[in-house]
Amino acid sequence: MRQRFSLLGLLSVLAAIVVFASACSGGGQNAAGGATVVRVNERDFRITVSPARIHAGNVQLVVHNGGPDTHELILVRSRARLPLRADGLTVDERVLEHVTAASVDGAGPGAVRRDWLHLSPGRYELFCNMAGHFMAGMQAELVVE
Amino acid sequence: MRRQFQPFASGGRRTIVGILVTFALFSALSVTLSIWTTKGSQHRAAVVEVAARQRTLAERYVKEILLARAGARVDPQQTASVMAASAGALLNGGTAPAVWGDDDETTLPAASGTVVRRQLEQERRLVSDLQATGSSVLAGRPVAAVRLRAHEHLKATSPIDRLRVLSALTSNVSLNAARTIAAADDQNVNHLIIVQAVLGALGLLVSLALGWVLIVITRRKTEHFRSLVISSTDLVLVLGPDGCRYAGHSVGALVGKDESALLGYGYEAFVHLDDRPALRSAAAHGGPREVVFRMRDQSGEWRRLESHLTDLRQDRLVRGVVLNSRDITERVELERQLTHQAFHDTLTGLANRALFRDRLEHALAHSERSGQRLAVMLADLDGFKQVNDSLGHDAGDQLLREVGRRFSRTVRASDTVARFGGDEFAFLLENVTNEEVIGLARRLLDQLALPIVTGGRDVALGASIGIVLHTAPGSTSEELISQADVAMYAAKDSGRGRYELYCPEMAKEVGELLEIEQELRLGLQRGEFSLHYQPELDLESERIVGAEALLRWQSPTRGLVSPARFIPIAETNGLIVALGEFVLRQACTQAAEWRKAGLVADSFVTWVNVSAKQLDRHGFQTVVQQALAEAGLPAGALGIEVTESTIIERGAATDHARAELADLHRQGVHIAIDDFGTGFSSLGQLRHFPIDMIKVDYSFVQGAEHDAKDAAITANLVNLAHALGIVAIAEGIESPGQLSSLQSLGCDLGQGYLLGRPMPPDQLEGFLSQRRSRLVDGKAVA
Repeated sequence: MRQRFSLLGLLSVLAAIVVFASACSGGGQNAAGGATVVRVNERDFRITVSPARIHAGNVQLVVHNGGPDTHELILVRSRARLPLRADGLTVDERVLEHVTAASVDGAGPGAVRRDWLHLSPGRYELFCNMAGHFMAGMQAELVVE
Repeated sequence: MRRQFQPFASGGRRTIVGILVTFALFSALSVTLSIWTTKGSQHRAAVVEVAARQRTLAERYVKEILLARAGARVDPQQTASVMAASAGALLNGGTAPAVWGDDDETTLPAASGTVVRRQLEQERRLVSDLQATGSSVLAGRPVAAVRLRAHEHLKATSPIDRLRVLSALTSNVSLNAARTIAAADDQNVNHLIIVQAVLGALGLLVSLALGWVLIVITRRKTEHFRSLVISSTDLVLVLGPDGCRYAGHSVGALVGKDESALLGYGYEAFVHLDDRPALRSAAAHGGPREVVFRMRDQSGEWRRLESHLTDLRQDRLVRGVVLNSRDITERVELERQLTHQAFHDTLTGLANRALFRDRLEHALAHSERSGQRLAVMLADLDGFKQVNDSLGHDAGDQLLREVGRRFSRTVRASDTVARFGGDEFAFLLENVTNEEVIGLARRLLDQLALPIVTGGRDVALGASIGIVLHTAPGSTSEELISQADVAMYAAKDSGRGRYELYCPEMAKEVGELLEIEQELRLGLQRGEFSLHYQPELDLESERIVGAEALLRWQSPTRGLVSPARFIPIAETNGLIVALGEFVLRQACTQAAEWRKAGLVADSFVTWVNVSAKQLDRHGFQTVVQQALAEAGLPAGALGIEVTESTIIERGAATDHARAELADLHRQGVHIAIDDFGTGFSSLGQLRHFPIDMIKVDYSFVQGAEHDAKDAAITANLVNLAHALGIVAIAEGIESPGQLSSLQSLGCDLGQGYLLGRPMPPDQLEGFLSQRRSRLVDGKAVA
């Protein structure tokens, strides 16, 4: 009886490991429900996207702030050049409102935020619009085919 | 070991202390946390302030660069250095410099927390980048050449734009660092609130638990205490200014009412009228500590309660005097009985010697003061011992009780009658005259003369009463009792059945008697007694046929003491038994020697006198048999003389004596009745009694020669003996005329000075040789 319990325990642990591993598997792979996971890593003052090229459809955006400063993330369908506000420090989001696909609020270092969205094919720009961050280089590109 | 129940013991106190300590601990912890958190908040507020100030400084620095480029007199380097120093202080602790016109220096602690430290490190790098870029702008160097350390990838190429971006980044990170610190502070405060709430809840729970424990303990103890009080046999009353405030269950049970009936002044209905003031006083004054009062129980009997008082009038919960009472009725009754027993005779219920003496001493003291006379009487019952011996102790006790009752009825109510033990009674008569005392003594004797039915027989008793009248001041109770005792012995000595008033001469006589008594005892031990023998002759043949052994006492101080002097004393004190045994053994030994020496014939009889007291003692027959056996004397060579009274007058005691004598007679021992004619012999009894000889009293013998009456009596006594088939012997023959008269009357044997005086054994041996005694044939005494 005791061996049986031990065996059950072992199987349970293994099952948990498998589930955890699948949950933590790399970007681009289909997540539950068929959404494509796009991992966005922010840090002072750079944004990396993985994968940078995906198929159109449902996307799960996983945004991780590597700090040390607070960062937000805005996803807009790309245009030739992002318009700046008059201060010259931030992008004018109101102008981009109709092309904004996602807007993830700012969060402190270490934070992981998720967002689900449907992306149609096109070129997308990801940027942090906190004062000076875009101008300091926090911009990346995502291509949806 | 089981712990003793303690109604208000340390259990409850411990719990209360536990509650207080818990409160104290939690309070101390809470306060400490608050202080620590507040202190931390104060530091963090300063940090936030400095961090927020960095934003202002960064913007100011950019403005000053622009102004400096425009030729204004500003010092952006100073702002940069303040900004750098502040960034360093924020990160590693230290003093943040004052900003002119703004605030004072601020001492900061080193930053804690990984996030904050990373942000502040980034801030310091951005400040450095800002300062380097600003310096390049002022110096006119290309800003693109400035090596940026904070990983900026600046898009702008204009120096001013680069400065503005760097300033914005610096402001941003400073602001975010301040927010992070503030958030941490908020978090700490939240934690504190949570911890405080948890501590408060825990403290409340612990206190509630301890309080509950306290309540349970208190309730249990209260229940325990209540059950103890309720089930206690102690009677508990609480008396206050408004009467009874509480009555225990036991009190209700005692009086047979519900406890509520006792409340207020209801209890007084059950308290003895005489005891109510004491209880009211105790309730009013809280004392004394002990009170004894009586309560009527449900059967209507008064119960005596001994109460211990506890004054709790000042106790707000009691407000009264608590009486813890015990029913001591039985104990008091027992004490009364014990006291009564200690001072009363258990048999008759009369006073005993101790009480009599106590009363006598009080009476003496009163007599000394008032001059009133008092008298002490002692009465000793005559013949009681014989009644006791013959009818048994139960009959004797019954007799004593009846005598006590009669005495009590006869005296006045104020007189004291006591029994001193045995058959001795004492009377204390106060305020009496001689005539009254004597009259009472007579009435007492009259009462005793009335027959008392005991043991199935009518018994009439006499008494010897000694009276002493207290006349001489200074006499003690001891002296009076002793004097009454002397007078009583004088009455006894004077013939019993009478009273005697004490006079000083009596004391001398009594002293003399006591001395003789003492000397008698010593004389017996020292061998001062001896036997003389008086021959008995056949009046017809004048041959010696026997001898009467007579006791002689040769006292070293008194010389030869007459038997008439010491025999009555020996009779009184019982020494006669030892003396009689001595006579018996000595006579048997002597007779055996004579027979062995051939001095006497086989029919020679040696006579010894035996007293009634000897016969009364069980085992007399054995004593005789032992004396005969030890001496080797045949039973037929021994004769026993008893008086008429011994076998006839003493009622029941006679039965025993007769049986003893009859047994001895069957064994061959001769029996004679001494002093015959002086008593009141019943001829009918005499006929059935196994006797061999009667001795005609010398008073008749001495008158036989000249007094016709004495001669007639003597003749009749001789004839009576012959009619009964026994021998008659005349004693006290002192003259030839008497001898010839007796011979003419046909008397068989004779004894007297004329025929031979009492003489020591060796003289009798000579006498026997001289008279050449001849053997007497069997018919003479057989």
